[in-house]
Amino acid sequence: MKIGFIGLGIMGRPMALNLLRGGHPITVWARRAESMQPLLDAGASAAASPAALAAVVDLVISMVADAPDVEQVMLGEQGVASAGRAGQVAVDMSTIRPAAARDIAARLLDKGIDFLDAPVSGGEVGAVAGTLSIMVGGSEAAFATAHPAFACMGKNIVHVGDSGAGQVAKAANQIVTGVGVLTVAEALNFAAKSGVDPARVREALLGGFAYSKILENHGQRMLDRNFKPGFKSWMHQKDMNIVMQSAHELGLCLPVSAATAQMYNAMVGSGLGAEDSIAILKLLERLSGGED
Amino acid sequence: MQLGFVGLGVMGRPMALHLLRAGHQVAVWARGSASCRPLLEAGAVSCGSAAAVARRSQVVFTVITAGSDVEQVTFGADGLAEGFAAGSILVDMSTIAPEMARSLAQRLSLHGVDMLDAPVSGGEQGAIAATLAIMVGGQAAVLERVRPLLELLGRKIVHVGDSGAGQVAKACNQMVMVAAIQAVAEALHFSRAAGVDPARVRQALAGGSAGSRVLEVMGKKMVARDFDAGVEARLHHKDYAAVIAEAHRLGVPLPVSGQVGQQLNALMAMGWGSSDTATLLRVLEAGRQSR
Repeated sequence: MKIGFIGLGIMGRPMALNLLRGGHPITVWARRAESMQPLLDAGASAAASPAALAAVVDLVISMVADAPDVEQVMLGEQGVASAGRAGQVAVDMSTIRPAAARDIAARLLDKGIDFLDAPVSGGEVGAVAGTLSIMVGGSEAAFATAHPAFACMGKNIVHVGDSGAGQVAKAANQIVTGVGVLTVAEALNFAAKSGVDPARVREALLGGFAYSKILENHGQRMLDRNFKPGFKSWMHQKDMNIVMQSAHELGLCLPVSAATAQMYNAMVGSGLGAEDSIAILKLLERLSGGED
Repeated sequence: MQLGFVGLGVMGRPMALHLLRAGHQVAVWARGSASCRPLLEAGAVSCGSAAAVARRSQVVFTVITAGSDVEQVTFGADGLAEGFAAGSILVDMSTIAPEMARSLAQRLSLHGVDMLDAPVSGGEQGAIAATLAIMVGGQAAVLERVRPLLELLGRKIVHVGDSGAGQVAKACNQMVMVAAIQAVAEALHFSRAAGVDPARVRQALAGGSAGSRVLEVMGKKMVARDFDAGVEARLHHKDYAAVIAEAHRLGVPLPVSGQVGQQLNALMAMGWGSSDTATLLRVLEAGRQSR
């Protein structure tokens, strides 16, 4: 299957490389030409625009920053829609608002293009290892078409429901992980400020009902004070904003998510935006009389 | 002076009447034509479009619900921008996002039109009594040209700063006010649950450090269980989305506003958006019943 890949950042680059390794011919496009180079070196072809890319592939995949970027590459001038063929499948793997994904799907369907929202979880590590979780919204037929591509990039591939359902699942994922990171940071900071070794507290908690992957992995990195991203906190701030916008649109009360969103605002505002989201520990320490 | 007025709802109608009664000519346009009638009876001139209002006015006032509506009325088909002569002034008294206000002002300046963002606080009562607080963003010289008109509408007119500054002040106003409504609702709910008469608690608090306008006005409504709007809660819900979006954009933590926004979301989910924001009390009570 000829696949076009748009957006070759921290996540997109290894994902496209895994498609190449899976034996699919790949055509790439990225806003910054230099970000295409690693893919071209590995045997991919370059396209001059999303439209030129769409004209020569069977399946289009985008991995960009936010909804306006997806809209631009799919529906903008020189976008996928301007050259796409009826029956073609386009997949966006970025994290955007569910309502925006549904809107883009409807507008692409007017051109006969079947759109999937397929955001991922697992971070850079998962992208490199090809072990991402992929949460998919859209038609059964398009899901079947794109599945071989998903299988090169991820392990846990779930067709969640209709258009937008993948983004809803991703927003739910970000609620649990965003709140989870903050909770683990609070617990470890609480232990340290109480004069107890947070490493031993983590170890004790791992055996019980407080066990979680976040306690295990993020908790360890907090103890190691390894704040290198990983998943940058400004991205989690963006995702919590998606959650808050959706809560507003739907009339949902999400008090814990709201508190978490405000903490991420504080992280970005205090210059921690480019660090991993576990740097929320630093913010808590500052608010609790400093690091021990 | 030749004035125009677009948006004749609960707030706009009494405001336009004050301008008429002071002897100004007022041209009006409203999407629901019924809302024009009281104005026309008082001598206002009806126009077929926003552009027509702008064509015959030196200063146009807008009081509209959402930022996208203000943009539509200004730059949409037959919008104000099509009718404005260079040197005209738009005074937008709606509550919209500061960024939207800045963008509209910038785009109007290309037409030689000056814009002030001049949102108000004081509600329907303040509009009728002409005692509104008016928070103005834009050039000081432009404000001075329209100050006599604003003095017909409000008692306290503050030039906060450049374009958008009025809307920033209004966002701050909403944060302080609605958080206070939530606090009063919690206090009264707490006292009732503890078996104490909330009316007496309110009375006791009014004399001390917890005394406030919100405790006085909204507390009284809550005690009387009078949930008729005043200001409809859905409008505060809308304002909170703007506050939360701005906090995100600026990277500013607003923990209390974040929580208050969630209570407003719950209020909307219960279908109480057209009631007064004092209904935040009923949101707390609903939680108690469902246990």
